[in-house]
Amino acid sequence: MASRGNKRPSITNGDDNLGVLSRVSRSVSDSQIVRRAKSTASDAAFVTQKLLRSTGKAAWIAGTTFLILVVPLIIEMDREQQFNELEMQQASLLGTPATAAPK
Amino acid sequence: MAGLAPPTAATAAAAATALPVPPKKIEDEKVDYLNLPCPIPYEEIHREAFMSLKPELFEGMRFDFTKGLNQKFSLSHSVFMGPIEIPNQSTETVKIPTATYEFGANYIDPKLMLFGRILTDGRLNARVKCDLSDNLTLKANAQLTNEPHMSHGMVNFDYKGRDFRTQFQLGNGALFGASYIQSVSPNLSLGGEVFWAGQHRKSGIGYAARYNTDKMVATGQVASTGMVALSYVQKVSEKVSLASDFTYNYMSRDVISSLGYDYILRQCRLRGKIDSNGCVAAFLEERLNMGVNFILSAEIDHRKKDYKFGFGLTVGE
Repeated sequence: MASRGNKRPSITNGDDNLGVLSRVSRSVSDSQIVRRAKSTASDAAFVTQKLLRSTGKAAWIAGTTFLILVVPLIIEMDREQQFNELEMQQASLLGTPATAAPK
Repeated sequence: MAGLAPPTAATAAAAATALPVPPKKIEDEKVDYLNLPCPIPYEEIHREAFMSLKPELFEGMRFDFTKGLNQKFSLSHSVFMGPIEIPNQSTETVKIPTATYEFGANYIDPKLMLFGRILTDGRLNARVKCDLSDNLTLKANAQLTNEPHMSHGMVNFDYKGRDFRTQFQLGNGALFGASYIQSVSPNLSLGGEVFWAGQHRKSGIGYAARYNTDKMVATGQVASTGMVALSYVQKVSEKVSLASDFTYNYMSRDVISSLGYDYILRQCRLRGKIDSNGCVAAFLEERLNMGVNFILSAEIDHRKKDYKFGFGLTVGE
């Protein structure tokens, strides 16, 4: 806290009497490699954001499509299977002639 | 010699009649070209694909009630509430909420069928189907509205031959049409149509082919209006069929193709489809009880952000 308090006036004083720390930091931030790293990082962030957004959109579309097309099918097939099983059980309980008779 | 000649001629004639018979018999065993099955009417050539891919999707609530008064006569009442899309030029869809009640009367007899429908907004629809003889059928359809120039009337004469069908169409606005379809082999049938619409000064010609076996149906249709339609239905099992279709319009350069399934289970029928515009739809008819059906309809269009969901109940059949 104290060091920050000392530095703040040094920045406002102008370029002539900069502190060692700020001079070093400026030379580091002005250097080519840092600038490139920064731009690469911002590009990467941008691409990642776009990618995430498009993945999310694709997942949303795929999910809703699945919900409309496949979920009812699974439920209905399950019901059908249960119905068949119930009928099989009844047939085995009552015996085969009983099921043959109504037909 | 003279005494001998007739028997030889007779044997020769017998041999001549006997000779062509065996190959004909073999041909008969292969394909009996004189006894081909009657084809499907020209306008119903895409029937199976339409059944699977074009269910009656709706948005909102509907309730249909049919009450039979006696064996032949029945009354129907139906209520619909929900938004209706208004066609307009802009890309976004405009929907206005509506509620309609429809009253109908049906008379069904094997020889004569009469259907009448009247809506609360004043539209009247009447259909007649009458068998004039064993082969000739008269169909008439009329749609009357209180708006001018929106009423239509049409009369069709269908003639059903042993292995062909033909139809003549007369409509208001000087519309004339004729179509013919012929079975070429037990599986393949080919047909053609011509039409002339005097009011719009348009005429056209179209051809169609249909190949069906008990496992699959493939159809193709081309018309001079620029329309090309192909469809294919594969019956995977007794309960399941898969359908696909492709439509291309040369004039407007629209291409659309869709893929769907049709499941007929004991308690329900489920149809689903997805098309190349990114539109996904499903239609479920669930049998709750004898004569009580519950309907769910869903359609989502991701590109237009248009979501339509509907439910309904059908009572009596």
